[in-house]
Amino acid sequence: MSTASGPARPGQILTPRTITLIAVLVALTALFGWLSSLMYADALSDAAYAAAYWYGTGLQVVFAVVIVLVALGIGLHQHVGKQWLFVGLGVVAYALGDITWTILDLHMGLDPYPSIADIFYTLEYVFFFAAIVLAIRSYRALTSLRGPVVFGLLVGGVAAAVIYLSLLRPYILPAGAEELGLWGLVVSTLYPVGDVFLMLAPAVTLAIVIMRLGAGRLAWPWWLVVVGAFVFSLTDSFYSYVDWAGTGSNVFLDMGWMVANLIFAVAALVARNIYRPS
Amino acid sequence: MSLISQRVVDILGPYVGETVADTCVRASALSLGKTTDDLTAADFPALEANVRRLLGPMAPSDVIDRLLADIERGIS
Repeated sequence: MSTASGPARPGQILTPRTITLIAVLVALTALFGWLSSLMYADALSDAAYAAAYWYGTGLQVVFAVVIVLVALGIGLHQHVGKQWLFVGLGVVAYALGDITWTILDLHMGLDPYPSIADIFYTLEYVFFFAAIVLAIRSYRALTSLRGPVVFGLLVGGVAAAVIYLSLLRPYILPAGAEELGLWGLVVSTLYPVGDVFLMLAPAVTLAIVIMRLGAGRLAWPWWLVVVGAFVFSLTDSFYSYVDWAGTGSNVFLDMGWMVANLIFAVAALVARNIYRPS
Repeated sequence: MSLISQRVVDILGPYVGETVADTCVRASALSLGKTTDDLTAADFPALEANVRRLLGPMAPSDVIDRLLADIERGIS
């Protein structure tokens, strides 16, 4: 009789336990999507709204814990263990940002933007960038990295131009430090720029490296990380735009960060399976 | 392609892709001044060193140990 924690059958890459864990994370995220739609529709009591708010924040903590545990399981003495630790620390930083945001917004009645939460949120870029750079460098003995890096920077340059023309020039820079305060101006600029140069461009570079090598299953988790980075950077950039343009956010946009961090957690679980002894 | 070269591609290919597996074989042959067709079971130590050097940054050492053991089992 097979069990959820049993080993994978021959030829099967993911174990039943991993598939179950992934299904649970996806189901928990879908539940938050439903709760989030109720929050947007103002269909919850104050207590239910607070519980749903904390549920979403708690889910980010779960994603962070999953990735860090996978990294520790691989071993930090391993090069690849360090790569996953940085991915995990990025999601830890995001979760700490969410906890801070929730406390400021829900319990203290303060405007959480800009605030100390932004320090944690922007740290995700730093850790993610470190993880991707380490992952890219792990292929340096196998292929020239110059082409992929140049292509990544080109994509980043185009995306930066779009961000400048649609966000920075019409909204953020004219508002300046007088309207936003110095800290507000810094983080308002840092988010879209970080999305482009610390998330999108490195992810594109990694995708090109992997694609060029026609990589096997060791690359699967990194493909997921690339997808997660696209979702994260697109969500973040669109959120900045709708916030400044005043068009209003929606539940799908708000789910973007959750889905991105879910994809990072799923990537870590897939990596854990691929690295397991047969 | 020699038996050992084919064995390396067969074992490493699903994990790192055929391009990288082939690079491991060619790097080993090059380090010995041979062609990939001339590699034999006696060249396994050179192959092992190159596989560890090239794959070390992208896979845990126990995975590499297992793959090398699979290769060695098929050529001895």
